[in-house]
Amino acid sequence: MTQQSLEDARPSRRQVLRLTGALGVAGLAGCTGDGGNGGNGNGGNGNGGNGNGDDSGWSETLEVMHGWTGGDGADAVDALITAFEEEYPDMDTSFRAIGGGGNVELDASVASRLRDGVPPSAFAGWPGKNLDQYEGVLGDMEAEVWEEAGLFDAHVEEVAELCQFDGGMAAVPIGSHRMNDVFYNVEVVEAAGVDPDSIDSFDALLDALAAIESETDAQPYANSLAPWTVLQLWAQVMLGGQGFDAYMNFIEGNGDRSAVQESFERVEELLDNYLNDDAPEIGFTEANQRIMAGDAGFIHQGNWAAGAYVAEGLEFGTDWDRIQFPGTENMYGFHVDSFIYPSDNPSPDETHAFLRFAGSETAQIEFNRLKGSIPTRDVDTSDFSPYLTETIEDFQDAEHRPPAIAHGLAVNQSLQADLSDVLADTFLDPYDVEAATDGFMDTL
Amino acid sequence: MKRIIHALRTRARNARSDGDRDVGVDRPASAAEALKDEGDTDAIRSDGGVAAETDPTGEYERRRLQRWRDSDFVQSAPFWLPPFLLMGFFVYAAIGWNFLISLTEYSGFGDVDYSTIGLHNYVELVGDAGFWAATRNTLVLLVAFTLACLVLGLSLAILLDRKIRFERTFRTIYLLPFALSFIVTAQFWMWMYNFDFGIVNGLFGLVGLGPYSWLGSPRLVLGSVIFALMWQFSGYTMVVYLAALRAIPGDQYEAARVDGANTLKLYWRVIIPQLKPATVSASVVLVLFALKAFDFLYAIWGFRPRRGADILATKMVREAFQRQEWAYGASIAIVLFIISLAIIAPYLYQQYTQGNL
Repeated sequence: MTQQSLEDARPSRRQVLRLTGALGVAGLAGCTGDGGNGGNGNGGNGNGGNGNGDDSGWSETLEVMHGWTGGDGADAVDALITAFEEEYPDMDTSFRAIGGGGNVELDASVASRLRDGVPPSAFAGWPGKNLDQYEGVLGDMEAEVWEEAGLFDAHVEEVAELCQFDGGMAAVPIGSHRMNDVFYNVEVVEAAGVDPDSIDSFDALLDALAAIESETDAQPYANSLAPWTVLQLWAQVMLGGQGFDAYMNFIEGNGDRSAVQESFERVEELLDNYLNDDAPEIGFTEANQRIMAGDAGFIHQGNWAAGAYVAEGLEFGTDWDRIQFPGTENMYGFHVDSFIYPSDNPSPDETHAFLRFAGSETAQIEFNRLKGSIPTRDVDTSDFSPYLTETIEDFQDAEHRPPAIAHGLAVNQSLQADLSDVLADTFLDPYDVEAATDGFMDTL
Repeated sequence: MKRIIHALRTRARNARSDGDRDVGVDRPASAAEALKDEGDTDAIRSDGGVAAETDPTGEYERRRLQRWRDSDFVQSAPFWLPPFLLMGFFVYAAIGWNFLISLTEYSGFGDVDYSTIGLHNYVELVGDAGFWAATRNTLVLLVAFTLACLVLGLSLAILLDRKIRFERTFRTIYLLPFALSFIVTAQFWMWMYNFDFGIVNGLFGLVGLGPYSWLGSPRLVLGSVIFALMWQFSGYTMVVYLAALRAIPGDQYEAARVDGANTLKLYWRVIIPQLKPATVSASVVLVLFALKAFDFLYAIWGFRPRRGADILATKMVREAFQRQEWAYGASIAIVLFIISLAIIAPYLYQQYTQGNL
């Protein structure tokens, strides 16, 4: 109908009235509908106008919601879409980018679609415990995707576990960011006379920061003081200082109080002495820019930090470099981005095809080499940058792959928010180690 | 409007053939018109006289329908019913539904289960330290922001009212921030408050103070937010006051002068008391803006404002849209609603007593 009134040079008044009326009724229906079975309504008007898709076997439109709206994320998802459309030229697709606030907007849009009973075909999100919040609205495509495409054999075991939900498979991984790198500006660190490769313990890291402070004008450690960045740092300090088992015990709810407390003490020591003063006001992106500009020495965050360096044209090894977070040398801090499969799917066949593709070598190479993340399966590394190639090798060889606590894998959304609240209320400057420890122990 | 209705009614009545003794259960506004109407109907009745011979019960029914159709209530329905239904449905029904949800345990993506109705969410609120912190911050923000805006706006208005040069230019300059969105002003102030290179710390540095972490320190942050909001909204208060000042005749100033009042006394005793209606209406608007400070906080920190700056609105959105705790979020929304109602109520009451409602 919209199309019709657009084609007419001057729509008659009656047409306008009819359109307005129809829109009004649709609006009312949207408001009053109980969400019971509204999901099937959008099948009817999907394909009519396009003319193709008659004998291709694809009858519905594939609608994928994701949050990669800018920078390397947008490039990566564009490459993924291009590759997908080359492979399935006859399928109608709608990839919708919903950006802002670190997936906050995406999650909220997805949530309201799911709540209203009109799920998209698939949406981007973290697997693992993050799936808990979608209890009751996720589908199982183990047979159609994971088994048919042989993903169980191709991907590492941990990722298959993370994508499992309610006894079936509810997600397909698209890539992984490493969570236990410490990045640094080579020039600043060299000016301070620090040899990064000698940093093998947390105390050595503190010594290096102290050297930057005394020898240069640069900020030793830059970051934002947002709860999620501190939660991530705390998790690495816990992993590095207390070991993999202590960390896993904590996220499973059997944490050792002294281990938690000691980790908090170390985090306080680092942040209280070496963090930039405006950390409560700035975001991670801004903090990372100071590393690039040479105003700061070290930063710790997931390796999307490196994506920004590459986008800025900085050279790995000469401009920036990284070490493993001290104590986590035999680990790969695990983060996974995935496409999640809602039940009551508007386009089951198309979605299955897309998810099989997402788990494939082509898709994972196309997406990850631009995103600055790595595939969770075995791939040919020739298309990846030296840094990512190194990361892929570490990923394959790592003894442990501890799930990220601040990015949905280790604890569910609600617990993650509780932990962030504890940090915001007790620990984020002024630092109250005792209260923060109590809060973490109570939460888990 | 009344006149139109009345005209319609008279026409309908004149078209009728049967006489009707008491049409006027609710008579039209003017007594004179009413009398005239009575005369008309009487005349028709004395002409006719056929009406009495028809079936008495059918006649009774018809007369009752007629009377109902003629009543003010029905005749005016086309004017008030559509907005009444729309408002009722989209505003009041939504509030009612929200209250109902706040009594359930709705969370996640399931359907709402109305079988376990209870006040447990409100009980949980009482025990939630974060809720009390947010309530305290909300109230502090409301009171401090409103008072500061009123005082500053009044001072600016009085200064501008003294027929200074470039008065219009100043008025525009002061009002301009009001035209900006919260997102823009939040970004402005984020830069100005920046610890390292913000202009605020620069100014304090000139007199040897600071630097202070305006948005970082839990003690300072609420004050910083209030100041930024005040910068944005005192222009609005100024315009309201300026209009009210212009309405006060010049002879009152002269009379006060003649009676020997100095400037301070003049304003304090004569002018400011006359600004009460302006003050009340400006405060109501300011309070509503304060409740909407959400945008400002969200633009700086996202879902979780800095400790010491969390207000009920941010907490509500966090509970509902981050944690999917719909029922709990709904109960916070109800508390927020009650607070705003408590603030608006005196205003509505005042309007009511003055006959404006």
